Amino acid sequence: MELDWTTFALEIINFLALIWILERFLSRPVLATLAERRAGIEATLNEARATEARALALQRQFESRLADWEREKAAARSQFDAQMAAEHARQMEGLNRDLATERQRNAAREAHRQETLQRELASQSGALARQFASALLTRLASPEIEARLLEIFVEELSALPEERLEPLRAGQNGHRQGVLRSAHPLSEEQRRQISGAVDARLGKLVHLDFVEDSGLRAGVRLSLGAWQLDLSLAGELGVFAEAGRLDH
Amino acid sequence: MEAASVVFSLGGLRITSTVVTTWGLLLTFGLSCWLATRRLSVDHPGLVQTALEGVVQSIEAAIEGVLPGRSGLLLPFIGTLWLFVAVANLTGIVPGLHAPTSDLSTTAALACLVFVSVHWFGIRSEGLKNYLRHYLVPSPILLPFHLLGEFSRTIALAMRLFGNIMSLEMAALLVLLVAGLLVPVPVLMLHIVEALVQAYIFGTLALIYIAGGMQSHAVENPEAPPIE
Repeated sequence: MELDWTTFALEIINFLALIWILERFLSRPVLATLAERRAGIEATLNEARATEARALALQRQFESRLADWEREKAAARSQFDAQMAAEHARQMEGLNRDLATERQRNAAREAHRQETLQRELASQSGALARQFASALLTRLASPEIEARLLEIFVEELSALPEERLEPLRAGQNGHRQGVLRSAHPLSEEQRRQISGAVDARLGKLVHLDFVEDSGLRAGVRLSLGAWQLDLSLAGELGVFAEAGRLDH
Repeated sequence: MEAASVVFSLGGLRITSTVVTTWGLLLTFGLSCWLATRRLSVDHPGLVQTALEGVVQSIEAAIEGVLPGRSGLLLPFIGTLWLFVAVANLTGIVPGLHAPTSDLSTTAALACLVFVSVHWFGIRSEGLKNYLRHYLVPSPILLPFHLLGEFSRTIALAMRLFGNIMSLEMAALLVLLVAGLLVPVPVLMLHIVEALVQAYIFGTLALIYIAGGMQSHAVENPEAPPIE
């Protein structure tokens, strides 16, 4: 164990040289590489942070835009609902108006139809009645019926109001002749009865021509100029027919 | 243990085997580091580059653990100290070579360098006046003890490394002489472990001494912020 000063000094120099060598060829390049790698990692991390920040910004932007869209959609939906409600109300109002008009029109049409139907029914009933009465009276027509009608004729003539007979009485020269039509031949008794009744009612003598007219079916018709007193089946059926024609 | 033999003389200087071995280590360090760091890749480091990065980062982390933020300043000295002592210690297991650290001249030189570095980094960090003031606290009476401690720990640093490595080599030699060929193998394995441990101890003690010098103001004023 001895200390050699030359070795001591050279070892100090050697160590200082080694410091330079290792610093030059080991620590400096390795630390530079590590620093470069750290810088690269840091740059990558910064880039990743920037990307994350951009992504977060985009996310916030898209969320904001999505919220705006939702609000716009809600507003548009609300507006659409309001427009739909207004349009619905308007169309319902129009529909109700059209419906009321249509109901009124249908009611009028139904009333007209009912009226037409009633008129047709009445017409058909009248026609049937006339047809029935015509057929019935035609079958019932006989001298007996005519005798009975003649009696009624005399009674009606007696019951005529004075104002109807006034025109016949007014003229002294007018209506001294008349025609009495009957469906069947009248007996002398019947002719005298009628002549007597006419003279008595008019208060003057009237010459009657008795004419047979089978078209009357049964009964008689007295004609004094334009004045007539009819009590025959044909005349009554004619009244029916006239009533039916007036109905139409 | 015989003294290191003189290999040759150069202008009156006796070049011992220790110095030659150290030169060889310098050459080996220089060549291997130059070859290993010629083509460093940032993105695709190879096996050797990964190992070198691991070594450098481990040393840097150790320095950061003691002196945060000062690894850039201390890495060349402390890193060289660790690597040189470790490799120099391991040189002893190579047949025909002596570990330079088994020579007191080498360990004394290293201890002196540590001694000088403590004051160099301390003054550089604190300033001369502040640095010298810490010898007077807490009381100027303790100045002789401070000075005695400075020298004694430097001598202890040199003697510890020298004694351990020299005794390891001697033990291996004795076992090899007494026992068979393969019997010293466990002793050589112990030599490897001991060599690494002693390198770690030497470098760590140097780091702690330097840190103590650089943080001497904190002893006076614990409230003061650390100097960057």
